[in-house]
Amino acid sequence: MAAPLVLVVLAAVTVRAALYRSSLAVFIAERVEGSNAGVLSVSVVEGLALLDLGVSPYSGAIFHETPLIIYLFHFLIEYAELVFMITDVLTAVALYLAIQDFNKVVFKKQKLLIELDKYAPDVAELIQTPMEMHYIPLKVALFYLLNPYTVMSCVAKSTCAINNSVIAFFILATIKGSAFLSAVFLALATYQSLYPLTLFPPALLYLLQRQFIPIKLKSKSFWLYTMQYASLYLCSLVVIICLSFFLLSSWDFIPSVYGFILSVPDLTPNIGLFWYFFAEMFEHFSLFFVCVFQINVFFYTIPLAIKLKEHPVFFMFVQLAIISIFKSYPTVGDVALYMAFLPVWSHLYRFLRNIFILSCVLIFCSFLFPVLWHLWIYAGSANSNFYYAITLTFNIGQILLISDYFYAFLRREYYLTHGLHLTRQDGTEAMLVLK
Amino acid sequence: MAAAVPGASRARAAAVLLLLGCCVPALAEGLQDQAEQFFRSGHTNNWAVLVCTSRFWFNYRHVANTLSVYRSVKRLGIPDSHIVLMLADDMACNPRNPKPATVFSHKNMELNVYGDDVEVDYRSYEVTVENFLRVLTGRIPPSTPRSKRLLSDDRSNILIYMTGHGGNGFLKFQDSEEITNVELADAFEQMWQKRRYNELLFIIDTCQGASMYERFYSPNIMALASSQVGEDSLSHQPDLGIGVHLMDRYTFYVLEFLEEIHPASQTNMNDLFQVCPKSLCVSTPGHRTDLFQRDPQNVLITDFFGSVRKVEITTETVSLDRDVAGFESKLPEEELATEPLKYAEQLPVAQIIHQKPKQKDWHPPGGFILGLWALIIMVFFKTYGIKHMKHVF
Repeated sequence: MAAPLVLVVLAAVTVRAALYRSSLAVFIAERVEGSNAGVLSVSVVEGLALLDLGVSPYSGAIFHETPLIIYLFHFLIEYAELVFMITDVLTAVALYLAIQDFNKVVFKKQKLLIELDKYAPDVAELIQTPMEMHYIPLKVALFYLLNPYTVMSCVAKSTCAINNSVIAFFILATIKGSAFLSAVFLALATYQSLYPLTLFPPALLYLLQRQFIPIKLKSKSFWLYTMQYASLYLCSLVVIICLSFFLLSSWDFIPSVYGFILSVPDLTPNIGLFWYFFAEMFEHFSLFFVCVFQINVFFYTIPLAIKLKEHPVFFMFVQLAIISIFKSYPTVGDVALYMAFLPVWSHLYRFLRNIFILSCVLIFCSFLFPVLWHLWIYAGSANSNFYYAITLTFNIGQILLISDYFYAFLRREYYLTHGLHLTRQDGTEAMLVLK
Repeated sequence: MAAAVPGASRARAAAVLLLLGCCVPALAEGLQDQAEQFFRSGHTNNWAVLVCTSRFWFNYRHVANTLSVYRSVKRLGIPDSHIVLMLADDMACNPRNPKPATVFSHKNMELNVYGDDVEVDYRSYEVTVENFLRVLTGRIPPSTPRSKRLLSDDRSNILIYMTGHGGNGFLKFQDSEEITNVELADAFEQMWQKRRYNELLFIIDTCQGASMYERFYSPNIMALASSQVGEDSLSHQPDLGIGVHLMDRYTFYVLEFLEEIHPASQTNMNDLFQVCPKSLCVSTPGHRTDLFQRDPQNVLITDFFGSVRKVEITTETVSLDRDVAGFESKLPEEELATEPLKYAEQLPVAQIIHQKPKQKDWHPPGGFILGLWALIIMVFFKTYGIKHMKHVF
């Protein structure tokens, strides 16, 4: 599988290089969908310039990156385009390897369950075969690299690409089973933007599954392993934060990075839900609503963990999607990351109910974003409500996509154990309904 | 020079009659009174400050008030350079005006007070209490153009006309601020101390207007108001075509009164006090003359509303000194001996231009780099085992 992957990588690099050299580069770079206050790479340039002048880079209002990014870009700022292309390639390769391993795990588990007779007799068409699973890793890499969202995010030089890369490595480490590396990469991802904290439960569940430790609250080995993993994670996080302190000899990166993510002071329009609410809200209520909105991101972890504890990788996918919808400064790069996983669940296609409408909604909204932005800002004939409406529609489309996949996944699991032709007690055909 | 001719002929008539009137004592006595009175008013120039303080379309009448006084004052001879006209809103070009570029004062559009030559000095949001007080006291930033200044001196007679919405002791500016009667009195006292007026006539057409002149304490001020404290000044007549009231009653009747005045009129202030009795105005107009030194009977309307120049015509010729051309400028001796002045370098410009700021690049501290790479190496070996170290060394 190496040759097709190399071809895909080459094609992706060519596309990006071509776009960098073209006149579209500036146009794409200033799109608020691709890069916004949280991830702007122009802010990196400003931060470095401030450092050269002897001032803390966090004293300006637009630099909100972590010190490790400062260190990275200090040496690589002239090669910024190369850096972003390489991170994209690394992300794709990491996802490729991760999904390859994951397919093996899925296949093994499926074989085990068939041999244990856990599946109903008439579900032969639902079982995944190696033939159809053979090309999934390549499709994942393809989806990630050639996704217009990723290309846009790369050309805009948004540090979201670095974030995606760290998360991809984290997923690779988790699926390979190395708790230490997984904790380190998760700590790095959390250090950069706070939200990957919610990926801790799915990673933990996956590692527990891999170690064959049953998830019972009374089991001692469960708590032992959880404590180990949690302490690895927290220790690496603490070590990374202390190391960042030594870069600038000051703690003012903490309010600037994490305070910025949590308290959402910058209300430049982006594809998220925060800016419009907080632009029109009275000061009196903003603290309450900031808390509500932030809790919203972290809240879905618990019910999802309860429901999806047998399927941690799907849980991770849903969690990634929730992060990218509800985070405070989302960009299309975040959307691209979870969309890269869609080929992994391509066997759910027959159970997806709204896929046509949702894909239309997402495509139309992506096209309407720059149009309405132009109408609002440049032509002056629209206003922020138009842009916010498209943002809302886009996010609703994403939410419906995720819930569609969630429903399809659960439905398939139910059919696997109960058979495709469901009958009620009196023998008539039954319909499966999500309650 | 329309005002000068009747004055000149009157002066000539008075002079001739004075000479002839030596044999007619009684006649000479009356004419002497007239001549004395002619020279007694003491002012040499006239100024007018006309202020409309309300904005919004339904306050059309205040703008019409001010413009009608402006029209009368201009007709009677005060030039635009001596009028400071402050209008807080634009009624002529208001989108709600069905007859654009006009402001009518009489219904059925009989009289357009906005003609072609209206010069508004302070317009729209520039009409503020601060600007008004700065105009009166002369404490104006140096960048203010001449047309916005009240360049009066101690021989100026100033007419100050204000209209708008007011109350007991205050006048509202622009729906956002107020000027109180105390502030106004203090402003006039500043004017008096700075010798910025000879005599001042203050007319105000607002509700409870008399409260605004209660606090004046500077000499030579005469004040008129359209209503007493506790009374409202009412508007006159609406025009159904335009849709708003066009004028206030008091100013309407003052305008009618002023239309009868021409630059040679002998009408005096007592007639102005009688304008608009309660039967016509519904409110009781008031006036205050205790600070004024002359008897109002002797004060002509044109002393304040017109710009009547005192012109003396003489038939003698006046010759200028012929030796003016022979005057040579001689520098005093000591000035030539000093050194010629030259430019002294105060800043080391050349030094500054050629000195670039030293680019001090920032480098991450050594401890950080060490720590970071140590961590990375530790993670690497933890993952892949110590045995791989043999590949490194």
